[in-house]
Amino acid sequence: MSDGAMEQLPLPTSLIEVEALIRALYQPNPPETISRIQEVLHRLQRSPEGWQLAQSLIAHREDNIRFYAALTLIIKLNRDSSGLSEDDAKGLLENIIGWTIQSLADGAGNFVVKKLCTALVTYFMHFSHLWPSCVRHFIYCLDLGRGAPVDSLDDALATDVLVGKLDSQKLRVAMWFAASFVEEVGKTDMSAPKFVQVHGRLVKNGPDVACLLARGFSPPQDNPELKTQGEALSCFQAWILYAQRAAAPIPDLVGPLRQLVGPAINCFADQDLFHTTAELFSDALGNYSAFFTDEHYSTLASLFESPWAAEHYQRVLHGNHQEDGISFGLVILAYGDAKVQDLMRSTDTRSQRFLESLSGLLAADGYLVGEDTIFVPALEFWSTFIETMIDASYSDEEAAQNWKPYAEQHLKTVVMNCWRKIQWPPAETFAEWDSTERIAFGDARKDVTDMLQSVFSLEGMSLVSFFADLFLQALAAQSWAELEASAFCLGALSDCISDEAKYDQELSKVFASPFFDLLGQAQGPIPLRLRQTGLALIERYCEYFERNAQYLPNALNLLFAAVGDSVLGGPSARSISTLCSSCRSILTGEAGAFISHYQTIRGSQVLDSLAEERIVLAISSIIQAIKDESQRLNMFEELYNTLKKDFELAVQLKANPSLLNLQHPDFLRGLDPPNPQSAPATEEIALQIALRSMRCLASIAKGMQDIKEYPVDLDGESQSQNANSRLAGLQENLMRVLVEVQRVLGASGEAVEIICNIFRAGFSETEPGPFVFSPDVVTDYFVQQRFETPRVGTLLSTACSFVGSLYRGPKAYVPAQLARLLPWVISILQALPEPEADTEISVNGITFTDKVMSKYPDVLFHPHHAPLVEFFFLFTIKVLDGNEPLPKGAAAEFWANFIPLTAKPPSTSSRTLQQTITNAMTHLGPLIARSLVYNIGGHAARSELDKLCEPLKRLVATCVGAQGWLMQALVGDGNEGRFPGAERVGVEERGVWVRRVVALRGARATNQVVREFWMACRGANFTYVS
Amino acid sequence: MSLCQNRLQEERKQWRKDHPFGFYARPQKNAQGVLDLKIWECGIPGKEKTIWEGGLFKLVVTFPDEYPTKPPKCKFVPPLFHPNVYPSGTVCLSILNEEEAWKPAITIKQILLGVQDLLNDPNPESPAQAEAYNMFKRDRVQYERRIKQIVRENAAP
Repeated sequence: MSDGAMEQLPLPTSLIEVEALIRALYQPNPPETISRIQEVLHRLQRSPEGWQLAQSLIAHREDNIRFYAALTLIIKLNRDSSGLSEDDAKGLLENIIGWTIQSLADGAGNFVVKKLCTALVTYFMHFSHLWPSCVRHFIYCLDLGRGAPVDSLDDALATDVLVGKLDSQKLRVAMWFAASFVEEVGKTDMSAPKFVQVHGRLVKNGPDVACLLARGFSPPQDNPELKTQGEALSCFQAWILYAQRAAAPIPDLVGPLRQLVGPAINCFADQDLFHTTAELFSDALGNYSAFFTDEHYSTLASLFESPWAAEHYQRVLHGNHQEDGISFGLVILAYGDAKVQDLMRSTDTRSQRFLESLSGLLAADGYLVGEDTIFVPALEFWSTFIETMIDASYSDEEAAQNWKPYAEQHLKTVVMNCWRKIQWPPAETFAEWDSTERIAFGDARKDVTDMLQSVFSLEGMSLVSFFADLFLQALAAQSWAELEASAFCLGALSDCISDEAKYDQELSKVFASPFFDLLGQAQGPIPLRLRQTGLALIERYCEYFERNAQYLPNALNLLFAAVGDSVLGGPSARSISTLCSSCRSILTGEAGAFISHYQTIRGSQVLDSLAEERIVLAISSIIQAIKDESQRLNMFEELYNTLKKDFELAVQLKANPSLLNLQHPDFLRGLDPPNPQSAPATEEIALQIALRSMRCLASIAKGMQDIKEYPVDLDGESQSQNANSRLAGLQENLMRVLVEVQRVLGASGEAVEIICNIFRAGFSETEPGPFVFSPDVVTDYFVQQRFETPRVGTLLSTACSFVGSLYRGPKAYVPAQLARLLPWVISILQALPEPEADTEISVNGITFTDKVMSKYPDVLFHPHHAPLVEFFFLFTIKVLDGNEPLPKGAAAEFWANFIPLTAKPPSTSSRTLQQTITNAMTHLGPLIARSLVYNIGGHAARSELDKLCEPLKRLVATCVGAQGWLMQALVGDGNEGRFPGAERVGVEERGVWVRRVVALRGARATNQVVREFWMACRGANFTYVS
Repeated sequence: MSLCQNRLQEERKQWRKDHPFGFYARPQKNAQGVLDLKIWECGIPGKEKTIWEGGLFKLVVTFPDEYPTKPPKCKFVPPLFHPNVYPSGTVCLSILNEEEAWKPAITIKQILLGVQDLLNDPNPESPAQAEAYNMFKRDRVQYERRIKQIVRENAAP
């Protein structure tokens, strides 16, 4: 932008110039011109001449200029009210009212008159004490035809008489004002001291507003074209909303407003007002049901029985929702919602008929949700109804439940209607829907699932039988959409029933039906959706298959057959892994068959890699359950060998890229994504072949985890891992392959990550297995890794898990492993260019050392490790002084664990060890004190304070020298404590703080004292900006 | 009924009336099939046009007795690989922190949308797990590859 464009326009010197500017503002102009005009007009509005400006422009014949004058008034009132004397203010009110009436008389546009009404409301906000009966006074002035002093109101006629004299034009203006009045005041906080009186005075206007609206609902006959009921409805709704939002009921307001419900109901009959009226009632019934009296409810109930209502109801059922709307349906639903308790407990014919009409709303014409928009709100009502029933069946006396059969009758219709409604449209119809409609359809089906689960808690078995029968009927009729809906609804109940055998008889009707034979036919008649739902049904009832193993092989065969399918493959693989994992012990005989199944599929096509991981996980979980060890290892080896070939291929391919043959599935496995736009480098293909199979191996490791837990003898001798030489051989082979793959392809961090996952799968195991490596093997692997190994932070975190697993096993092994691992971990920390260079390394390195210290301090403080430990302590201090929250948290925790050791040695420790620790603390005490003071003195983030309090509390509770160290850190040698807040907190205050902390001796209140000091150091004004 | 229960009823009503596409949020049911309003099971979809698109992540929201004075706790189940998710799965987000930006007026819808925004827009100022935070900071390519993998494993149905 050039300098010229930034230049401000000069202030206009005459009214004519101002008018020209306003005109220009409302004409099409480039944005920069508009903003320059706006800027100069704003300056003018804010200047002391603003009042004068508004007054001069308000009588202008052009609407835009009048509008701008009204706007100026509002701005002046909001900015400069306090500068007005009481007399000025009174005069101003008369003027604004006068201008409003004049504008109306001049035929100014509605937007001008409405803006002037807003200016009057703004006036009220600032001077409500001068204009308490604003509605009555405004009506009085409208009747007079000019602005009059507020005092003259004393002699005025009663409000209803005044209102009766207004013509419909003035009546509308009065209602615009009343609506804007309650909306604007309603935006302010009723409980704020500044506005309490404003709200109080507003409420006192309630009876006058009721008078006004009563007239608005039955307007004078002077001009039938000028109906005022529309304005009356909007104004009424605004006042109801205000009353509803009040924290406590306001009888003085609600009483008069209630008188208007009858006249408002009459507006339903007017075709033009129908939608506005319906919106008012569905809103108020839905959100503020207490507003209506019994009489109102009974009037509405009669209305809903009228032929008029029947016609509207039919239109909701059979009309076009997009064009005609569903207002009537929403009103009766809101009524139902408001009266749900009564309706549920009633047995009379009227209520029954009404509830029938509400369940009927679930059966409107058209598909969900694009065509039929009433279904979802209707389902919402019925979900509330059902939840109310559930509550009542727990709380009501049994004898008082004579309503139940009636309510249950409605539920039957609801369930049946929902079952019809959730049926999929023909594929060609679905294809025409946009994504919003598709998602909404799926969401509505999910809502039905929820509803059915609630109904189940009332109806139990009969609901299961109901859907099982529908399933069989639909199957016999080959009605696929109905069959799908039945299977979907049965699936919805699986969470409620699958682990209970008493429903098996009903379920067997379904699972023994010929449906599953049809499902198995590759070119059979079953459409895709139904196949999906059918396969999902198998997965959802996997506990059923555990109890009814005779159906299991057939089910799994179906799933395996679908694995290669592009749509069904993913879900089928998931079902296979769920079923195999939970039914593993009855499937052990099938392991061999499943492996060959897997090999056959692999040989002919490239599976989705995630699906493949799930399938091998499934198979390995069956293998895990094979009791005979040699049989188990046979199966494992067979599965493993399939993958091992991939590793070998990947290594060969890396060495010899000319081997690549992208016609062969074994090589195609290396394409990720499966159909790349251009062929990736051979090296990348080799890497992906290896990674894919490594992920499968990690899945196998997970599948091989035992689901039972066995007791561990902590004091026993460690089991000889080599007792089974075959297992040992297998493990050796596994390790060799993993190390080789990492060596050849390990530049990718992913390989290291997967190796870590494979290790972790074994850590939780207590019984021997292919992935339960001996601790020596694991430690050997770790200590060979260097700082340069990718993802070394993950290796350290895996080492932490390893230590955890060692602690859960026999003790005899532990110290030797720790003594080898500790120097390795610290060497990685030493290799860091600075402590914050890699937070994952820092956090896990500190956590590891902390874990060692917590159980085996003699390993950590062994004289042999002294230089390492010295480095480590200083490392943690540097971390504490740094800015990275996670390592800092770990360091604070380490110190909180270390400090108590200086006073209370672990029972196993020797005197030498105790001496080492005590010496260390003497040396380190001043350092940790300085670091804590530096943080608490303003360096730390607020969220870190609680963590930093822990070492501080332990320090003052444990160490005799703590007070001195802290004082030294705070004051230094020449009152020069080094912490960020040193300039804000005096030396005396620092002393008081230390004494308070020391006196608390580590009690919880320390956190608060620390927080206060930190606030003082940060500057007292520091608070969170919300 | 307590303030907490009242508010949760209202939240439920509002959610049913109006919720963003692809999300779900419903109170858990106890063994008798009765709703426990204080524990909600929610689903957060990954945002369109981000690496999280296509994923659906399960979040359990637990409301304390003092709700809405105190914020609910949000926990991904299973824990999610993300810089601002603790290893336990708990989400670290300012609007969920009583001492930061929590306000009683914040609705469940706003919370879930906030968590969705956080997925693709992590806050490096408040790391909650070292693994994701470190990878996010140091190796964005690997980080994005990992997210894509996670999205595949948690694909929206």
